[in-house]
Amino acid sequence: MVGTGCGRDSNVGPGAIRMTLPKLARKFLLLDLLKGLSVTFKYQHPKEIYTEQYPLERPWIAERYRGLPRLNVNPETGETLCIACDLCAKACPEQLIVVQSERDPVTKRKVLTNYTYDVSRCMFCGLCEEACSTDALELSQDYEIAQFEREGLILDRKRLESGPETKVYER
Amino acid sequence: MRDETTLTNHLMDDTDDWGEKRRTVLDADELILNMGPQHPSTHGVLRVILKLDGEKILGTECVIGYLHRGVEKIGEHRTYTQFAPYVDRMDYVAAVSNGLGYCEAVEKLLNVEAPPRAQYIRVIMAELQRIASHQVWLGTHALDIGAMTPLFYTFRDREEILKIFEKYCGARLTTHMFRIGGCQYETYDGFEKEVKRFCDFVEPKIGEYEALLTTNRIWVERTKGIGILNGDDCKALGVTGPVLRAAGVKWDLRRAQPYEAYSKFEFDIPVGEHGDTYDRYLVRMKEMYQSLRIIRQAIDNIPEGPIMAKVPKIIKPAVGEVYHSIEAPKGELGYFIASDGSTQPYRMRIRPPSFVNLQGLDKMVRGMLMADVVAVIGTLDIVLGEVDR
Amino acid sequence: MLDQLTSYLHTQGLTPGAANSQLWALIYILVVFGGVSGFVMVINWGERKMLAHFQIRLGPMRVGPHGLLQPIADALKLFTKEDVIPEGADKGIFWAAPVWVVLTGFTTLLVVPFGLSHAVTDMNIGILYMLGISSLGVLGIIMAGWASNSHFPLLGSLRASAQMVSYEVAMGLAIVSAILMTSFTEGWNGTGTLSMIQIVEAQRIQGIWFAFKFFPLGFIAFVIFAIAMVAETNRSPFDLPEAESELVAGFHTEYSGLRWSLFMLAEYAGMVAVSSIATTLWLGGWMRPFPNLLSGPSWDLAFSLVPALLVLFLAGVTIRQALKMPTHPALRANKIGMLILGLIIAGVAFILFLPPVFHRTTDILWFCLKIGFFMYLYIWYRATFPRYRFDQLMRVGWKVLLPLALGVLIVTGIVGLRAEIWAWSVQVAAAIATWARGLFA
Repeated sequence: MVGTGCGRDSNVGPGAIRMTLPKLARKFLLLDLLKGLSVTFKYQHPKEIYTEQYPLERPWIAERYRGLPRLNVNPETGETLCIACDLCAKACPEQLIVVQSERDPVTKRKVLTNYTYDVSRCMFCGLCEEACSTDALELSQDYEIAQFEREGLILDRKRLESGPETKVYER
Repeated sequence: MRDETTLTNHLMDDTDDWGEKRRTVLDADELILNMGPQHPSTHGVLRVILKLDGEKILGTECVIGYLHRGVEKIGEHRTYTQFAPYVDRMDYVAAVSNGLGYCEAVEKLLNVEAPPRAQYIRVIMAELQRIASHQVWLGTHALDIGAMTPLFYTFRDREEILKIFEKYCGARLTTHMFRIGGCQYETYDGFEKEVKRFCDFVEPKIGEYEALLTTNRIWVERTKGIGILNGDDCKALGVTGPVLRAAGVKWDLRRAQPYEAYSKFEFDIPVGEHGDTYDRYLVRMKEMYQSLRIIRQAIDNIPEGPIMAKVPKIIKPAVGEVYHSIEAPKGELGYFIASDGSTQPYRMRIRPPSFVNLQGLDKMVRGMLMADVVAVIGTLDIVLGEVDR
Repeated sequence: MLDQLTSYLHTQGLTPGAANSQLWALIYILVVFGGVSGFVMVINWGERKMLAHFQIRLGPMRVGPHGLLQPIADALKLFTKEDVIPEGADKGIFWAAPVWVVLTGFTTLLVVPFGLSHAVTDMNIGILYMLGISSLGVLGIIMAGWASNSHFPLLGSLRASAQMVSYEVAMGLAIVSAILMTSFTEGWNGTGTLSMIQIVEAQRIQGIWFAFKFFPLGFIAFVIFAIAMVAETNRSPFDLPEAESELVAGFHTEYSGLRWSLFMLAEYAGMVAVSSIATTLWLGGWMRPFPNLLSGPSWDLAFSLVPALLVLFLAGVTIRQALKMPTHPALRANKIGMLILGLIIAGVAFILFLPPVFHRTTDILWFCLKIGFFMYLYIWYRATFPRYRFDQLMRVGWKVLLPLALGVLIVTGIVGLRAEIWAWSVQVAAAIATWARGLFA
């Protein structure tokens, strides 16, 4: 099967006659087509089905998955772990984190008042998670972040601390 | 027709790109056809204006820019660390390679080198990404030519690679895997076992794709002799990657200018003969096997050690410029970074392989029939995110 | 009235057309046309599900259990779509084209024999009639492309019609070689037949399906027809005229809603028609497999129960899938619906086991099974093969299939008449010998 021109050379002609006998037999018996047919036939078995019927079956998510962000709180005291160092805001390429803090007059340390995270422009790159000096900011495994309004994607501190709420569908 | 004449004065010029003298008026039986930005087979938003004589193609012109996002301009206003996630979005099919090229370019600018362990991890991830990118190419190319099922098979096997990526860095597509100076993430428990299991899993699958397509007479007729681009034309246009290798030129940056740990591994460079679509198909299939070979060699010998070199927290390279290119799955991906001494680059220029390869479309498609245009666009393996940036 | 109702039932071995019973002919027409239309809905669901399973995915699952109500949803959607007629389109021809295609597609089904007396009518030129009417269908495609007043559909329709016409030649030659085989029936004095029912009778008398007669000649003719019929109906791998990823979008681009669904209906009806030609000519029509090898009343009984067993198996699969469905309150309706469906199918299977029923229906069911086999082949081809480019398609039709079909025809003739040819050549040799002796004497 020679194609030296622009692909419109015919397969029948002097070249075909010069084909060897086994090759001619293979061509005549459509063996190449049958090989392809057998591959697709094999995959009909129901155990080969790769579909995941969402939302009945939720996908498996890795531990390091970079999903919706979350502000962690100390489980015992309930206080936020964020020390308002503003490193996450500086690290973000899109500058969508706004950390508002005030200085505590007693301990002379910064205390977090408000934390705003705009998920609508977030790339989920993880630079803020890496920059965080404590364990406060973390990208959780939540991927169901669709909202009906654009404002719903601007997460405030309360939403970030409460974490993801997944709707579970029972089987 | 009105749109075409105002926007495609280029086609009405006296001489075309190849120096042939053109008539200033369309001949009676010539037709200008617009394969618009919305088309199932242009692999993105690519507009191809075809000049046809019946079914034969007399000339083409590509109109790009529908996906232009100003990545290079953004690069001038972000720090080097902050720019890394944007790079993934260019060739979104092979994000790891983009990140690899960028990190290496900045490391070259800073004159640091990633530690050996990081280099091995980078090689393994880049080769996994190469397999994944070629699987996307195979699925979409076969779909354009009419075979619907290889798409699903390749995407299923690609899922396994994406699962490994997800476990490693947290994202499947826009991975942002590497940092300047090394890798951010340490390999997870069971990484070696999973990668080895994947290699054993995918090798017979690649054999299945070949059983479906390589000897299939319909496939051979649709791809043999179509879209020929010989070695000299490739070199003249600057076309790289599998397109160049299928034309008979044995040029692979992993061999010619070894980067990372590629000099430590044994692998072949598959080369084609005629430079037609069938050869490009064979070259890419063989490349998948060679990638598996590299991964198998690398995964057994990952050295211990740190994964991050000593890089300052705030990256301020010296004044200078660097051009560094790697062998991305689609060709030579190059980064030219000009630094003016501040934390943000002065100029970030990216040489996308698909953009340069797309220039070959006109030469490859002349004299072909209309149905071959989709085959040729598919075989060039372009990603519009890269072409337009 | 009662006489008319019972008159046909007393005539054995005659179709309603041959028995001059207009009432029964009308009933058969309604049954065949309604049955084919219903079958088109089933095959639509089947194509989506089977194609999905070839592609390791599930296909429709949400609309009704396992997507069983999907064709109804699709039909409803198509019926309620806005009827768009392009500006400048020839309204009369635009309206007439889908009607024409459906008309010719269904008219071919008039002579399709589902059993010895189960056809609407039995013309003595049955196969010629089917070929002729399906050639007329090409006109509808050209009308569709022309009336759309747009060069994409025009190009697509011209290509589709060129493709159909060229493969009809190869189809015709393959059919002729099968007809030739009918003339080798003992007791028919060397006359063949074009009547569909008589072709199957010829296979029954000769005791062999024509696909296996003079092996491999009959088989090659069968394969040629199998390939040509795929090209005739514009299906993969010959579906360039209606492919979505090519530039020319096909002759039905400008048709939306109900008009487009008529084209789809005609395409599937055409698939049924050519499958029935293939079944009748090569696969023994309504006969059970192995009529010669495994003959005898016990084998007859076993084979006539096979369709009923298959229906029972289908019922079993349905019930098992229904039981396997998750017990979620939202899916309760699905589960109950599927169980009821399974029970209905099981009921049908039990009815089919009763002797008075299966004596009459086993022919019909075997015929439908064979047509189903061809439908499965169609879907299998679509899942597996890439598409031919148009000029390669024409090359296959004219340069590969046509010479092959011609060769098979000639060789079939020689092989079938070998006794006569041998006798004739002996005579000729004797005559030459006497003449030569006369020369030297």
